[in-house]
Parts: sequence; C-alpha cells; structure tokens
Amino acid sequence: MTAFTVDLPRIGESRHSPRSAVLLQRFGRALWIAPVLLALAVTTLYPTVFLLALAVSKSTLGKPFRGFVGIKHFATTLQDPVFLSAIGKSIAYALSTSLLQLALGFLIALLFTSLLKAGRFLTSVVLLPLMTPPVMVGVAWKLILAPAGGLLNGTLISYGLISQPISFLGDPILAWLAIAVADLWQWTPFIVILCFAALSTIPDGVHEAALVDGANSWQRFWHITLPLVAAPLSSIYLLKLILSFKLFDLVYILTFGGPGFATTSAGFSIYRRAIEQFDVGRAAAETIVYGLVIGLATLPVVRLHQRFERREI
Amino acid sequence: MRLAGRHLWLGLATAPIVGFFALPILYLVAVSLKTKDDVLDGHFFPTAPTLANWPTAFEAANVVGFILNSVVVSLLAGLLTIVLGLPSAYAVLRLKIGGKWLSDVTLSSYMAPPIVALIPLFFLLKATGLLDTRAGLVLIYGFANVPVAFWLLTPFLRRIPVEIEEAAAMDGAGPLRTLLQIVVPIIAPGIVATFIIVTVLSYNELLFASAFTFSDATRTLPVGISLFQGDRLVNFGQMAAASLAGIAPVYLIALFMQRYLVSGLAHGAVK
Repeated sequence: MTAFTVDLPRIGESRHSPRSAVLLQRFGRALWIAPVLLALAVTTLYPTVFLLALAVSKSTLGKPFRGFVGIKHFATTLQDPVFLSAIGKSIAYALSTSLLQLALGFLIALLFTSLLKAGRFLTSVVLLPLMTPPVMVGVAWKLILAPAGGLLNGTLISYGLISQPISFLGDPILAWLAIAVADLWQWTPFIVILCFAALSTIPDGVHEAALVDGANSWQRFWHITLPLVAAPLSSIYLLKLILSFKLFDLVYILTFGGPGFATTSAGFSIYRRAIEQFDVGRAAAETIVYGLVIGLATLPVVRLHQRFERREI
Repeated sequence: MRLAGRHLWLGLATAPIVGFFALPILYLVAVSLKTKDDVLDGHFFPTAPTLANWPTAFEAANVVGFILNSVVVSLLAGLLTIVLGLPSAYAVLRLKIGGKWLSDVTLSSYMAPPIVALIPLFFLLKATGLLDTRAGLVLIYGFANVPVAFWLLTPFLRRIPVEIEEAAAMDGAGPLRTLLQIVVPIIAPGIVATFIIVTVLSYNELLFASAFTFSDATRTLPVGISLFQGDRLVNFGQMAAASLAGIAPVYLIALFMQRYLVSGLAHGAVK
C-alpha cells in the first residue's frame, strides 16, 4: 500500500540501535496477531493434535491415554455400519437441505427486492428465526408435531384429513423431514438476508439497459441477475453447507437420534460416544474420519466458488 | 392501478412466507397460555387462557439462573472475541502483518464442525479446573468465535479510506492509537453488529454448554430448556413459557439493533 504502511514499523527507531530496533519491530508486529494465533492454537491446533493422540490410544473421559492401540479405533470405525450410515445421512442431509434453502432463500430475496422499502422491513422480520436459539426452535416444532395434541395433528384431524394422529418424530423418514423443516425455518431467513445483500449490489443501470434492449423478465433474470450473483450464491451455499454439517441441536431436541438410530447424524453419534459412553478414543477416530469426509464433500463447492470468483475478475 | 395490482400480488405472495416464519413463535405463545388439558387439544388458540404456566415454569426450574448464566457468559465471551479479533483483523488488512495465510487459516478453522474440538476442550477445561465454570465457557466461546469476528470486521475495515489513517500517522499516532482513536469510532456500527452476532451465537450454543456444564449454577439456557424434556411428564405449557422467556432478551436486541444487524450480516458474508 502507501507510505503509511511502510512507515509503521519504524516505531522506537530513535531510541534503539538498528538491530534491536528491528527485533523490537518484529516483536511489536507479532503482538498484533498474537490474539488470533492464540485463539487458533486453542480451538484448532491443540484439538487436532490431541484428537490424533486420542485416536490411537485407549482412553476414557476419566482417564485418557491408557495405552497405545495403533489404528484399531480407525479400523472399528470404518467397519461400523451404524456410524458409516450416520455419515452418509449427514452428507445427504447437508447437500440437499442447503440446496433447497438456497433456492428458497434466493426466491424470497428476489420477491423482497421487488417490494423495495417493504422488503427492507421484511428482511428485518425474518431475522427473528436466526436469533432464536436452535433449542427453542426444536421445542416449538416439537409442540407443533407432537403425536397427541400437536397443532399439525390437531389441524389435520379437525379437517378430516387423517383419522389417527401421526407420530411424526417416530417414523424414520418423517423424523428427518421434521428436522429439515425446523432447519429450514431457522436458516432460510439468514440466506434471504445474504441473497438480498448480493442482489442489492447489482447496479440499477444494468437492468434498465436490458429493458431498453427488449429483454423480458425471464431473460433479464437468466442472463443478467443470475450470472452477477453466481459467486455470492456459491459462497452462501458453502456457508450453509458447513452449518449443516454441524447439525446437532435440532437432533438433540427433536428426536435424540431416534427412532432407533434413524436420525443419528454423525455429529450426534460422536457426541453420544464420547459424552455418554465415555469411549473417547473411538470418538476421536470417528471425529477425524468425519472431518476428512466433510473436507472432501465441500471441496467441489469450494472449487466451484473459486471458478465463479475468477470469472468475475 | 397497475401498480396497486402489482403490490396486491406481491403482498399475497409475501403473507404465507411471513406466516410460516411467525407460526412457531406464535404457537409457543399460545401454548404458554394453555392449561394442561388444553395443550393436548390440538387447536391453535387456548380455550381458557391462563397465565399460570409462567410462574410455575420459573418455580419448576432455575430459569432465571439459566438466563443469567447465558447473558453473563455470552456478553463476556462477545467482548473477549472483539478484543481478540479486532486488532488481528486490522493488522492483517492495514499493517500487512500475517498476510493472506492468516486470514485463510482463520476462516478455514471455522469450517471444522465444533464436535471436533469437543473432546480435546473437555480435557483442557478439566486440566485447568475450568470444567463446569462460567469462566470456562466464556474462554471457549470467546476464542471459538474469533474467526467469525475476523470475517465480519474485515469488510468494515476495508471501507475506511486509507487517507484518514495516513493522516493520523503523519500526525505521529502509532498504529495502536490510530486503531483506537480513528478506526474504532468510524466502524463502531460494524463492531456493534459483530459483537451482537458473536454474542447471540454464544447465547444460543448447546453442544459445548451441554458437555462442559453439569450443575444449575453454570448451566446456560439452551441446556436448561433441554432438561425440561428429560422429565417423564413433559409439561408443554411450562416449557413454552420458559422458552419464550429465554428468547426475549435476544429478540429485544434484534428489535433495537436490526439495522446494524442486517448490514453486519450482509457485509460480512457476501464477498
């Protein structure tokens, strides 16, 4: 940049000999990023190293590292059909619900954009689900979906659509749908806000020019709006994907992984293995496997995002 | 006329969307006003509205204590996050310290699901005697949200004209003074938005809170609410009342700060 940034390191120059001044400078500069390095060390570096050590040892929550077991935990994990299916479900869930929410959120944002002033007010309104603790989201949806006396069953029965209450959270597929609906309720507004912001960055003149050229609204959307927001949309999808892989709270409240193991997401499975069964060695191996799988699953989206970004420059 | 028709159409399209997003919260309100028999009725509106659930919910569980724990923990953690995140974001962007690798590493660290850090952090808190303490949660949340703050603050910092900081440097202000006296006042709205967002993230967090706290003195609200359903006889009316009491603080913040929040979220993520 400019003289400003070049000048900065010269703090204390007059008071010290050149060499100690350089050292002091270096130290002073490192001090600026020390906080973030500390945070990274505590929340990322240390957990990674510690997990690797746990994964190859016999460990419980009470007594970690009681002996070296090699790759035993990894072998067990990769042969455990319940955990592998939990990973499969987590991936399928994250990819599909994120895509659905992106599409829905983008449509709502388009709608709000055409509402102009009211749209800005509405984006504030849809902020509320985002601010609602996921646990409360779970409680609210649990009340709506309750088999006996829930709002949905009550409504369906009173309109004569069903004769017996349906146990929404007791059926494997319906339980996943219930989690997806609660997830959609919580996160779509967030996507609306981000899409709204992306759409508002499109200069007004672009649309007017196309209008003059006789482009209809579909052509304007397909050839102008969509390409202009492709890069932000891909980054929003990536963000939601990451959030979906973290799925925990809604499972915890709505189904606690059931019925059976039907809605046990990978994260929830690891939590139970570690915190309820105390088998942290195996939980650590599962965590590492899951982490790698997430990395692989998000890689194509990262690549796509990079391609869109490059195209913009 | 045509304009009015267009607005009517858009209004009709908007109504069900707003209705869907309002329904669960409105239903919580309705259930909190229902008697025990009324809850199992399946209708939206209470037939005999009662406020009895509210005091009994607060008696049945330490709801006030849970809310207080959540408020204290999330506010302190939010402060810690800003104190840690702001200087680093400024240093990377303006002082060119740390370079691109630091922002990349910071952002990618946030991509790891929190479950990854759960077990190691459990042992760290145990070793430092911070397990089942509010201080432990403050530190964990404060550190864990630094990437978010870093990410939200950077666009605000980027929009400050470099000339302003150059002028401060000419006048002999060091980088720290420039940051505190020039930069912070300019991006105060961005800092407020970031603070609110990271605070709300901590306020709403369940995974760490449920693994690292196990007494009423430290339990946060999400953990406290999740205990309501542990009982064999779930009292839905009380659960709804307690949930609403817990949501209230966050909604008040959202109500007063909505303008900052929308711009904070929007500028942070779409880059």
